[in-house]
Amino acid sequence: MDCCEFREKYSDFADGLLDDESELRARRHLSLCAPCRRFDAAFRTGVRALRDLPPVEVSRSFDDNLGRRLRHELVVRALAVNPAWGAVAAMLVMVTIGLVTWDLAELRAARHAASAVAASAAAPHAILIPPPVEIRIDTTQIFGDISHPFDPVLLVADTTPFADGSTLRFDIPAVWGGR
Amino acid sequence: MTSAVHSSLRAHRASPASPFAELDDSHVVQAFLSGQSRAFDELVARYQARLLNFIYRTIGDRERAEDLVQEVFIRVYRHLHRFDQAKKFSTWAYTIASNLAKNELRNRSRNPLVLFQAIRKHWEADHRPLQFEDSSSRPDDMYRKRHLRALVEQSVEQLPEHHRVVFVLRELEGKTYEEIAEITGCNLGTVKSRLNRARNSFATIIAPHLD
Repeated sequence: MDCCEFREKYSDFADGLLDDESELRARRHLSLCAPCRRFDAAFRTGVRALRDLPPVEVSRSFDDNLGRRLRHELVVRALAVNPAWGAVAAMLVMVTIGLVTWDLAELRAARHAASAVAASAAAPHAILIPPPVEIRIDTTQIFGDISHPFDPVLLVADTTPFADGSTLRFDIPAVWGGR
Repeated sequence: MTSAVHSSLRAHRASPASPFAELDDSHVVQAFLSGQSRAFDELVARYQARLLNFIYRTIGDRERAEDLVQEVFIRVYRHLHRFDQAKKFSTWAYTIASNLAKNELRNRSRNPLVLFQAIRKHWEADHRPLQFEDSSSRPDDMYRKRHLRALVEQSVEQLPEHHRVVFVLRELEGKTYEEIAEITGCNLGTVKSRLNRARNSFATIIAPHLD
């Protein structure tokens, strides 16, 4: 066996998969050839060092991150299995947005009428600007206790200032389970 | 089921007495498919470190390797019902991991940022202070050991992608040729040929540094 053949069959030799005759020829070559001996020693030392490398440990946040991704997967799967859930959820959100928008429009019309009357009767005074009104709809209520990753629906009301300094107020429909 | 997945993942390490600890992989898979969601945690506990090490040794980036391990479990979770239970779960999991690692390497090869990261990583390894992990060792021994570790890591990284996957599966994960063929989707002859080339390259790279 020459060096070329030894290197060609090296993998089988290292794994002890050569037949008896080839194994004997390889060993004989190894005993006579210093470069191949060095090659063999380098491979075995290297692999030993590789196996001795300290194992990489998962980080502390691994479980939390995986848990979060699995929960997301579960919700996606639930929606995929029963598309009706998705349709119902979308419909509920649309209905609520519609109701709130309609409520706001009515409220604003009433307030504008009231402020016009007040302005004509009273002396001008400083205009108070009410803070933006935010409505957060907790979409988890759509799915019962499932803590799914959908962001809450956020509605920001148009806060046109009123001369009387009053603030906007409205109720979220009871369809959201009392929230 | 959701909360079970989340809370028990966290609690798994704290409570070694998992009801599935005695079962082999195929029974754990069956338990999960029959509705016992905690069986999935057992699969995660069994494979997270192994897959992390495999992917890390293949792509050389620890943080990204962890992301990919999570992706493996997501895919396992998503497709476990389609898994052919006549086959080994570990082979299937490694197949997913191997494909993700290969995709990662392919994507990175197109990204110039990778070169910078590789250079920085090697610089950090070379300039790290000596760690006195073993007080009985002499400093020169420790230095030689650390040098050898860095050397073998770099040697693995220098292997071509196809050779590296096969090499890591064989030398570090102890997979059989048949398992490697299944994981990589190659025939046995290709696996043997790639492994032989990988071993030759590895020995050739490392030999001059060991003299």
